[in-house]
Amino acid sequence: MATRVKGKVEVPVKDPAPVDAPPDQPIPAQPAPRPKDAPKTMRQLREVREGKRASRAKPAENVLRQGLHLERVPDPSVLVLFGATGDLAYRKVIPAMYHLWRTNLLPHEFLLIAVGRRPYEDDDYRAEVRKGLDEFSRVLPIDEAAWASFSERIMYDRCDFTDPAGFDRLASRLDEIDTEHATRGNRLFYLATQPSQFADLVAQLGRVGLDHERHDGGWRRIVIEKPFGHDLDSAKKLNREVGKVFRESQVYRIDHYLGKETVRNLLVFRFGNGIFEPLWNRRYVDHVQITVAESIGIENRGAFYEETGASRDVLQNHLLQLVSLVAMEPPATFEADPLRDEKVKVLRAIASPADSPGNVVRGQYGPGWVAATQVPGYREEQDVDPLSETETFVAARLTIDDWRWSGVPFYVRTGKRLPKRSTEIAIQFREVPHRLFREAATEPDPNLLAIRIQPDEGIMLRFGAKVPGLGMAIRPVTMDFTYGSAFNIDSPDAYETLILDALQGDASLFTRADEVEEAWSIVDPIIDMWASSPAPEFANYDAGTWGPAEADEMIARDGKRWRRI
Amino acid sequence: MALNEPVLRWSARAHSIAEIETELARIWAKQDLTTEMEGAPARHIAARTSVMNLVVIARRPEIAERGAATIQALTGRHPSRTIVVQSADPDGPSWLDARIEAHCVLPREDAPETCAETIHLTAGGEAGRHLSAIVTPLIVHDLPVTVWWPGEPPFTSRAAYDLLSGADRLVVDGSTWNGDGLERMREMAGLLDVTRLAISDFALIRQSRWREAIASVFDDPDFLPYLGSLRRIAVTYATHDETGAPGSTNIVKPIYHVAWLASRLGMSVVKPLAIVAERPAASRSKPAPGGRPMVSRGMAATLSQGRGEVAVVLRPVVSPMPAGTTLRVELLAERRGSELRADVTAEAEAVHVRVWQDGVEAFERRFLAARRGEVDLLAEAIETGRREDIATVSLRAAAKLVGGPIPPAGARPVS
Repeated sequence: MATRVKGKVEVPVKDPAPVDAPPDQPIPAQPAPRPKDAPKTMRQLREVREGKRASRAKPAENVLRQGLHLERVPDPSVLVLFGATGDLAYRKVIPAMYHLWRTNLLPHEFLLIAVGRRPYEDDDYRAEVRKGLDEFSRVLPIDEAAWASFSERIMYDRCDFTDPAGFDRLASRLDEIDTEHATRGNRLFYLATQPSQFADLVAQLGRVGLDHERHDGGWRRIVIEKPFGHDLDSAKKLNREVGKVFRESQVYRIDHYLGKETVRNLLVFRFGNGIFEPLWNRRYVDHVQITVAESIGIENRGAFYEETGASRDVLQNHLLQLVSLVAMEPPATFEADPLRDEKVKVLRAIASPADSPGNVVRGQYGPGWVAATQVPGYREEQDVDPLSETETFVAARLTIDDWRWSGVPFYVRTGKRLPKRSTEIAIQFREVPHRLFREAATEPDPNLLAIRIQPDEGIMLRFGAKVPGLGMAIRPVTMDFTYGSAFNIDSPDAYETLILDALQGDASLFTRADEVEEAWSIVDPIIDMWASSPAPEFANYDAGTWGPAEADEMIARDGKRWRRI
Repeated sequence: MALNEPVLRWSARAHSIAEIETELARIWAKQDLTTEMEGAPARHIAARTSVMNLVVIARRPEIAERGAATIQALTGRHPSRTIVVQSADPDGPSWLDARIEAHCVLPREDAPETCAETIHLTAGGEAGRHLSAIVTPLIVHDLPVTVWWPGEPPFTSRAAYDLLSGADRLVVDGSTWNGDGLERMREMAGLLDVTRLAISDFALIRQSRWREAIASVFDDPDFLPYLGSLRRIAVTYATHDETGAPGSTNIVKPIYHVAWLASRLGMSVVKPLAIVAERPAASRSKPAPGGRPMVSRGMAATLSQGRGEVAVVLRPVVSPMPAGTTLRVELLAERRGSELRADVTAEAEAVHVRVWQDGVEAFERRFLAARRGEVDLLAEAIETGRREDIATVSLRAAAKLVGGPIPPAGARPVS
């Protein structure tokens, strides 16, 4: 049943309308929410259709928006980037904005106010941005015409984050910009600073009233980079501090993993295909392995990593996000809160592996060879304590105590200086119930579905096939889908996706406060347990290997082994 | 080999459908198909990759060449089995001449090449009239079939109907049709009821940024109530014909603007489009000495929205822009004694929106919109899934605006 709209009132009719209908027949339109004072009786319906009764209902929504599948251009707005002279700004945030601009996805009435402590003039800062783009842009060379118009929209604001007067000046300047550039009071504050500055920045923004959304539609949003706290208590405290100033609907916590094309495809793969979801449960899945492997070390971030470690850096956010996306129930709609509600339910159903100490393993790399290059051990890295107990590897056996996943272990691992960079989700299906081919030269392996997040984004399904010949030999073969071959399309960087979403007010791919806290409540007990245990004998794995032997032993106890990636 | 640049890896000729099928099988049956570049090690060529069948109906060789070049540019993005069909010598004996090619692209330095086939097919005599009989045996089954029909598709012919009834999507460019394009537009709308075709018209796709711009006016909660009280829609378009004679300029694009608005707002057609009568000679202003003669006053229609009537005006203006290009869309809404006027105009690479509420300027925005070539338009048409709602309802609404009975598809004898 389709609908037609007569005037502003919805009237159900059969679809499609006959094309040879007389010209006074209404043209089919799209369904819109039924207004409260819509006609209810048959007479009212008929009179509306005949034009004898006018509805007093206001259009409930802008029906012209229906079906516009072109990426909607965000409202005129100002993006205020704190930490504008930092590495993240030059490497990720500004290149992402440049690409959005280059592809006409930012509004014409757009300004970037870069806030930092260094004494730059606008032109000096633009020159630094250009240098950054020449080095980090994913599409080179830079489009000079696009750069010329983009750079005109960059302004630098020198501000010491500890100086309240600086925020007063910023507030006045933003008001002037609204007047001069028609940005209509819409502001996105992006905190790309040290995490320790988040709370103070938010408080200052609140003090000068930059959080207040205007009655005439001017919106205010804030993007906060991870890490969201250092543990459960600090996360709660940060959420509390942010919550004193901004409503949760104004807060966008970025975990860039959620903006990656393959991670977003995971939702399409699961909920847009009919053949996988029926198998996606304890009845058919033997176990799940999720690996986030990095071949790089700590890249001159010794001081940061000493306080963080693999658990806080990756397990608490990227890994648990991937677990929740794999394990979640289908949301009612693909909107921010229904989606995040389902993810939170998964996190709540995960018992901390610290409850069973053998279910979590930590490691720290020693010297070794990675990609034919000799590399030092973690304790020899710059700014690292020579007796450091910080973990650079963590593996855990998680269980999700719900109807769908009860009894299915989720093995997760992440580490630095592993043999290769690779992020992958592997769904290992159960063996067939009856071994029909036990007499065959080789028995079929259980089916496996591997979703590669990076590099070589794609999906692989493994199944057994008979080797041609007279005998009955079975060999595993794969059906392999590679993004690069099927879609030779320039995929946007995760930051482009997420910044555009934040400008458009779509929080689906951002982390909600309760998600952050639930994730910490899984990781916190692990860290507490380690803090109260004897110091481990680090280093316990060589750089260029797949982590400590204890990780292999952990999974071997269940009769399984880590996938060779 | 440059990344993403298609390279010809196989070419063969055939003179019957059976020979074409044999050649296609030969391309992919070759084990370990590799290629050697000068001084470079042999590279493995991936097995065929196809995500759809793309059929191009080209009535002239230059259209066929242009179509094939456009599709080659999409090889990496949408690897397809492409069949480019031309007819020749319609009064001669039946014959078939085909060139079968495999084009490959290198998506990444370390990846195997991805290849797709193109069949250039010329059919002479009677064979050229039975498009479906030529195309159907050559399509890869289970993959969607898109028919790209540049030029003037004879929608009411039996041959077109047979071909299109077996296709999933038809891609056309209504803004290139002869005359005002309205008759063919009505014929195309008729296909919606007798086939399951999704229709993509470049003329409509090109206007996406206009739609975004017009919709943006009513995102403002203060202006949203006016959406139910439109009183006038005026579209100004470019013409090169200084007389503005009816039918001299293709007006498919201007009509789509009105049709989209009418379909979204549930408007009914009270009076279909008709040529606006000339002013009486006495009231006509004479052109200034050396000035241009006045062009036609265009076309007008009346729609209804609730109890109110909406005047529609399509107005030609002599302009150096391509004929039929939309230059301006004006909307006038009245509600409780208050008036909202929106003026959307084309600029070099932008669409400019200005809104006045009771004579006071209340809103202004620019939407950047780089002009898109055929490759981008075809890619977007292909990427749109199934029957796209905007395309379907806008085309139906356009047909009603044009008025008159819609000719049934396939009702005419084979042309």
